[in-house]
Amino acid sequence: MWSEKEKKILSEILDELIPANPDKKIPSAGQLGVVSFIFEVASKTPKLQDDIKLVLEFVISKADKVSPYLVREMERLHPRAFGSLLTETYKGYYSRSDIRKKLDLSEKPVHPFGYEVKSESNEYLKELTENVRARGTVYRDPTGGFR
Amino acid sequence: MNNEPVDVLIIGAGASGAAIAWSLLETKMRILCLEQGTHLSDKDFPSRRNDYELSRYAEFSCDPNVRKLKQDYPINSSNSSITPVNWNGVGGSTMNFLAHWPRMRPSDFRTKTLDGVGDDWPVDYYDLEPFYEINDRNVGVSGLSGNPAYPKYTVPYPPIPIGILGQTLAKGFNKLGWHWWPSDVAILSEDDNGRQKCVNAGTCDLGCAAGAKGGANFTYWPILENAGVELRTDSRVREIQVDKVSGLAKGVLYHGSDGQLHHQKAELIIMACNGVGTPRLLLNSKSDLFPNGLANNSGLVGKNLMFHPLTGVAGVFDIPMRGHEGPMACSILSQEFYESDSSRGFVRGYGLHSGRSTTPMTYALGGYGIDNPIPWGDEHREIMDNIYPYLAGLTIVTEDLPEEHNCVTLDEELKDSDGIPAPKINYRVSENTKAMIKHGEERAAEVLLAAGAKKILSKNDDKVWWRAGWHQMGTCRMGHDPDKSVVNGWGRSHDVKNLFIVDGSIFVTAGAVNPTSTIQALALYIGDQIKKNIGTLFD
Repeated sequence: MWSEKEKKILSEILDELIPANPDKKIPSAGQLGVVSFIFEVASKTPKLQDDIKLVLEFVISKADKVSPYLVREMERLHPRAFGSLLTETYKGYYSRSDIRKKLDLSEKPVHPFGYEVKSESNEYLKELTENVRARGTVYRDPTGGFR
Repeated sequence: MNNEPVDVLIIGAGASGAAIAWSLLETKMRILCLEQGTHLSDKDFPSRRNDYELSRYAEFSCDPNVRKLKQDYPINSSNSSITPVNWNGVGGSTMNFLAHWPRMRPSDFRTKTLDGVGDDWPVDYYDLEPFYEINDRNVGVSGLSGNPAYPKYTVPYPPIPIGILGQTLAKGFNKLGWHWWPSDVAILSEDDNGRQKCVNAGTCDLGCAAGAKGGANFTYWPILENAGVELRTDSRVREIQVDKVSGLAKGVLYHGSDGQLHHQKAELIIMACNGVGTPRLLLNSKSDLFPNGLANNSGLVGKNLMFHPLTGVAGVFDIPMRGHEGPMACSILSQEFYESDSSRGFVRGYGLHSGRSTTPMTYALGGYGIDNPIPWGDEHREIMDNIYPYLAGLTIVTEDLPEEHNCVTLDEELKDSDGIPAPKINYRVSENTKAMIKHGEERAAEVLLAAGAKKILSKNDDKVWWRAGWHQMGTCRMGHDPDKSVVNGWGRSHDVKNLFIVDGSIFVTAGAVNPTSTIQALALYIGDQIKKNIGTLFD
């Protein structure tokens, strides 16, 4: 139901929302293809579908090319629709395992393997808590500790 | 469906319902638990899926108004600055809680005597101490013994790693000479009895597929079901019924998994539906004997609702804090500002909890339980690449004082999937709490800078997190005086002698710590009192 032009415009909007970081080889939201995620969610969510239509109509009516200024105007004039688009863009982008990997997280589901975190040794914890223990108790006991 | 009368009917299969069922096992009474939700297997938990983070905003949201599952009742929070969050199913909210496990402190039970606010509890720390210990063993608590913020006790398992984030913050606290300690957590640091130790997945709110987290679904329920306790899921209680002659509770009307309305008779009824669900059910159980709701002769059912209003401050450090690795809410806890100090401009106090960071999606959307996305555009790229990985934060968890205008009532228009009126929350943050939050934000910034943060991120306003309503307390408070409390010192209704309440609604004050450890200790204490008084239970 979405035209090629609409897909292209939406992809350009997404590039503005989450730009790329070429130095770290992190793609933008448009480059990553988050458009497909958004269209899929919109196909099951009439409200989001309306919001996307509104956003696209606004952009197409104003210019041929998306710019940061135009996106700011869209945010100012259509805050609710813009908010829906922004939320779904973040969801679509960060649910991708390849993006998690770029941010130094596991690209796999976190269970069953999780992350390896080294336990502190008893000696280290003793050293780290030494000042706290040396200060003594830091609570009030209305019974004086006796029953 | 077999609805033969039972000795004990427990409503709710969460933390408190499971604990008291365990306590009553030795009585050999026939125990039935009705639970409105389902019994999920660990295979159903989303952290085994590639897109696990999305479930946090859908079927595994902490907010029932977002999940909207059949077993979830809607909550009208339009007149509240905090909305309650929960889980409806076997394990209750221990399914998606973050398992931070601090006990309440001795002063928490005597706020009236010590500070002239709230009220004193009919029990004290030492009444509960043996039950804290039993429960810690049953649940599998990890931590470092010797915390000088408490009377002496031993933690069953060694601490989970506090990680680079916890170590960094600890050094900041040490520089200032302030109290801190590795958090007690209901999370296994060692494999135990078929449960796997924590794998540091950082998704405690999504059910813990490792079984390391001490949710009642993993701890008490396997034992209870093996011992013959009947657990009837997808069974929502509509009303508790009373006998007109004796004034005792005679049973319940509930919507069963077959979609039909059933009667279930019981000798003894125990409510374990949390601080919102319990007053809701009592207020929905009106009769000629109790026209204002069951067990409500005091007029206090639903009143004195307490949460723990929260806010957070974060610091940006020079090295990655790896905050996504490890249990979400549990690294270290400072109780430096827990006790009253009149020079601070507020009474009672707060804790500084070092939660770890969330996953990228949740951070981008504003943080756990927050709907306020971070900026888009170049600023977004800068934040995610150069700030997010270097963050360590402190959450200010404040003590809420009981105030009658903060309450749970019924919304007769808004109903659950069985047509039962939903709860309405009327709540505003007090001036005392606002002063605590301001103080806490300033102290958190101070310690983050002492720990080496090069920049502080803080909201600097008195707003609290919207989805901070995990801890729902006070709405059926316990006490000796039937005019000033709903249940007595061991959880029995003043008005209905065979009706008990064991969840957080019976708290008199809230302390400034996560309540589940105390909720379960209190449930075990009440179970013990029931056993001790079994011969004269209904006198």
